[in-house]
Amino acid sequence: MSVAEYAAHETGHGGGSAPHRRGLLMRPGFIRAAWCFAVFFLVGLYLVAGIRWLAGWDPIYDWNIIVLVGGLVMGPVGFLLGLGAFDYWLYWISGRPTKPDDHANHGAHTWTDYFKVNTDHKVIGVQYLATTFVFFVLGGLMAMLFRAELAQPGMQFMDTQTYNGLVSMHAALMIFVFIIPAFAGLANFAVPLMLGAPDMAFPRLNALSYWFLPIAGTMFLASFLAPGGAFATGWTSYAPLASEQPIGQIFFNMGVQWAGASSILTALNFLVTIITMRAPGMTFWRMPLLVWANFTTSLLVVIATPFIAGSQFFVMFDRVMHTSFFVPKGGGYVLGYQHIFWFYSHPAVYIMILPGFGIVSEIISVMSRKPIFGYRLMAMSLLGILVLGFSVWAHHMFVAGMADWLRVPMMITTLLIAVPTGVKVFSWLATLWEGRIHLNTPMLFALGFISMFVIGGLSGIYLASVPIDIHASDTYFIVAHIHYVLFGGSVLTIFAGIYYWFPKMTGRMYNERLGKLHFWLTFVSFNLTFFPMHWVGLVGMPRRVADYSDRFANLNLIITISSFALGASVVVFFYNVIVSWARGPIAESNPWRALTLEWQVSSPPPIFNFDEIPQVVGGPYEYGVPGARHAILSGGAAQPQETTV
Amino acid sequence: MVRMALIGIAVAIPVTLVAVLIPWLPTSASKQMDRIEFVFWFATIICIAIFSLVMAVLLYSVLSFRAPPEDLSDGPSIHGNTTLEIAWTVVPAILVIAIGVLSAIVLSQNGNAGTNPMVVKVTAQQFAWRFEYPASKNLKSGTLVLPLGDPIKFQFKALDVIHSFWIPQMGQKQDLVPGIDTSLVITPTRTGTFSLVCTELCGLGHATMRAVVNVVSKDDFAAWVEKQQSGGGSGASGAALFASAGCSGCHAFTPAGSAAAIGPNLDNVAASAAKAGQSTEEYVKESIVNPNKIVAPGYAPGVMPGNFADTLSAKEIDALVQYVVTGAKK
Repeated sequence: MSVAEYAAHETGHGGGSAPHRRGLLMRPGFIRAAWCFAVFFLVGLYLVAGIRWLAGWDPIYDWNIIVLVGGLVMGPVGFLLGLGAFDYWLYWISGRPTKPDDHANHGAHTWTDYFKVNTDHKVIGVQYLATTFVFFVLGGLMAMLFRAELAQPGMQFMDTQTYNGLVSMHAALMIFVFIIPAFAGLANFAVPLMLGAPDMAFPRLNALSYWFLPIAGTMFLASFLAPGGAFATGWTSYAPLASEQPIGQIFFNMGVQWAGASSILTALNFLVTIITMRAPGMTFWRMPLLVWANFTTSLLVVIATPFIAGSQFFVMFDRVMHTSFFVPKGGGYVLGYQHIFWFYSHPAVYIMILPGFGIVSEIISVMSRKPIFGYRLMAMSLLGILVLGFSVWAHHMFVAGMADWLRVPMMITTLLIAVPTGVKVFSWLATLWEGRIHLNTPMLFALGFISMFVIGGLSGIYLASVPIDIHASDTYFIVAHIHYVLFGGSVLTIFAGIYYWFPKMTGRMYNERLGKLHFWLTFVSFNLTFFPMHWVGLVGMPRRVADYSDRFANLNLIITISSFALGASVVVFFYNVIVSWARGPIAESNPWRALTLEWQVSSPPPIFNFDEIPQVVGGPYEYGVPGARHAILSGGAAQPQETTV
Repeated sequence: MVRMALIGIAVAIPVTLVAVLIPWLPTSASKQMDRIEFVFWFATIICIAIFSLVMAVLLYSVLSFRAPPEDLSDGPSIHGNTTLEIAWTVVPAILVIAIGVLSAIVLSQNGNAGTNPMVVKVTAQQFAWRFEYPASKNLKSGTLVLPLGDPIKFQFKALDVIHSFWIPQMGQKQDLVPGIDTSLVITPTRTGTFSLVCTELCGLGHATMRAVVNVVSKDDFAAWVEKQQSGGGSGASGAALFASAGCSGCHAFTPAGSAAAIGPNLDNVAASAAKAGQSTEEYVKESIVNPNKIVAPGYAPGVMPGNFADTLSAKEIDALVQYVVTGAKK
């Protein structure tokens, strides 16, 4: 079906017949979502109470279980129903005429459209980014709160339960509802455009998986209101501590389920989109590396995420149903939790960095005006990381008491994963070589990423070596390492990607000087914050401590002050993005003179992306090749030209 | 090329100075830490070389190949170079495998306790460490005292959640896992006082779950054992028990010099006893043996371990009660 037919087919259904307007309470939206949440919560409440009454258990109103079933499972389902996320499917199932085919909820015309269930991948991409940055700000503010507590030894501002809660919440927000979904947001926007597709393969599923995300983030945050405080066992939530904690813990267990379900559904959507919706001529070897990166990431998500779901269910069952998956007294195996948890959570590190590799590959090639060096090896190294990534999980457990023989093999695979990662770094450097380098904001962030990620990668070599890891494990060295990889790595690439696609997303240009200011403030304060942590860790400061020995006081004060500067640098970013979106200069369709498909359409792109199906005729990075084209868009019937590859 | 080499050297020199001038590792106090230091420096040399190379190419490219904004030309269409790509796959692989082999050798040496090592049993619970010396008639202590020179094998048990045993100057670390017996080998090489810290988040009092470690000569160790066994040591002293049983990890108590705020302040225990209508002795004893019976307002039940009746002898509990009652405000 051509785009024209597709569009005609889609408009044919709705065709001007405006559906009768329903009353405020029945119309899909936040009002219906609110009362549906309440109704579903009550259903959950009486389901639990009814079963307990029939079984004769005391108390009938066990709030541990009611909060879980009513508040964390049924309520959110009601919220989604009220919002309208299931409307199409329910109409279809019940045999009533389905109406969203008129695409009334496709594309965004006013800012309020971003608060509705929308099926347009470009709108969903922006929804993802806006939502994740809300959680980014909250997570960052929490980091500044506990850094304030750590400015001096002893306890000044909070008790240890609050401290542990803030640390755990910071990590949970940043990992599960910022970095992972922010990449999903960027990819949501860019991947269908880069493939020459009108949308994702399953637009309604795409909308649903986005709406899981605010549910997950809100659930994490709501645990602050729970009696006993927020979950406070770290984002790793190790058993058996996690099954003995106050009720806030189950908000984490269930929040991870919602975030994980969102990831899995999005990943399936990406896989089907990438496999089946490539434009004619877009072979796998002509796909931009961002698409390759998201293809690989999606495979990781689909294979690994069910494991964390399992680990969180089991550890929660130990708490609420008195099972003993991880309770030694009932025959449970404590280390089983860690094995299952890390079987997801190590690949999750790659879920949080491979999309960034893709973004950086796009930017380095375009801004150096050169083809990406060793394109096929770049794609293969992603797959190499995918495969090796599943064989290294127990390097998080070198001191955990697992079987001794497992340590050396896990060390070797961990060290070997540096090889495909190194291939990527060297290939980026070779792409820079003899290029025509344009040092604009996305490029600065990309280069900043390379230098910081190399430091994070090299400190990873130390941690791979079992004897060094035995010393450095669970100290601030780990905190330094993870922030060089996840902030210096992932977050810098997220910023790079947002600046790079900002003109395409908004149709306006950001302010270049503010962008550069943002980069330098972030780069300097980031290093001042996290580099000293290597030292305090190696000489003896454990991680996740509210109080520490006096001899670390000076450096901790420097770290705290720098972390405030790092927090302030984000203000420049928000000012730039918000003001530029409202009043920035109108962007050209292709300000970077890039070859990939998203830049060959207007900024922002048309509602179905391409007015005609593009014909892909060559690789995506053929800069400097005379007469080379990636795709032909004019005069829809262009013949494929297999001349340049 | 000369320029790039100069940039590389310009990067390598400050990085090397940072690596050498800052004391990155604590002064070693064990044989195992000496070996860890060796691997550490081996890896550091490789890492300095790689980092300098990457930064040299990156900075050289940015300085030499930067194009003015109005330059719309493209760079040369280089798509790859098979020799180079093979080289930067194979050389790093060799380097990391070298680190791996060295690490594996050191790991096996660091795990070797030799024949017939001295055994110390370590028990951890929220939020205290306890030590037991099977070779010295199961002597119990709240301070870890170790003789210099020979390998010591620690045998670990955790009673509630996961804890982790680490003395930074001695390098070795091991989690204590409920339901699993774990162990660790340390050969102390330096006398002195060190700090044992818990490195696995174990709840409210995690940050203050520490113990004092004294490494002494073999003679001093023998003398210490004798003194403990003759009853002159911590066995009966309430003050010593207050530290060794972990009370000071959570409770503020002026005579013990502790200021922790996880549990109620024991300076005011007499007032609480009066409120509960008990004598101070009764109230303190019950709070130790059965802490969840009366929980002070503002504190959560289930935080204080409930097993002191099993882990302390009746005599020790009495000593502890006397110490708290006499030390508290009247």
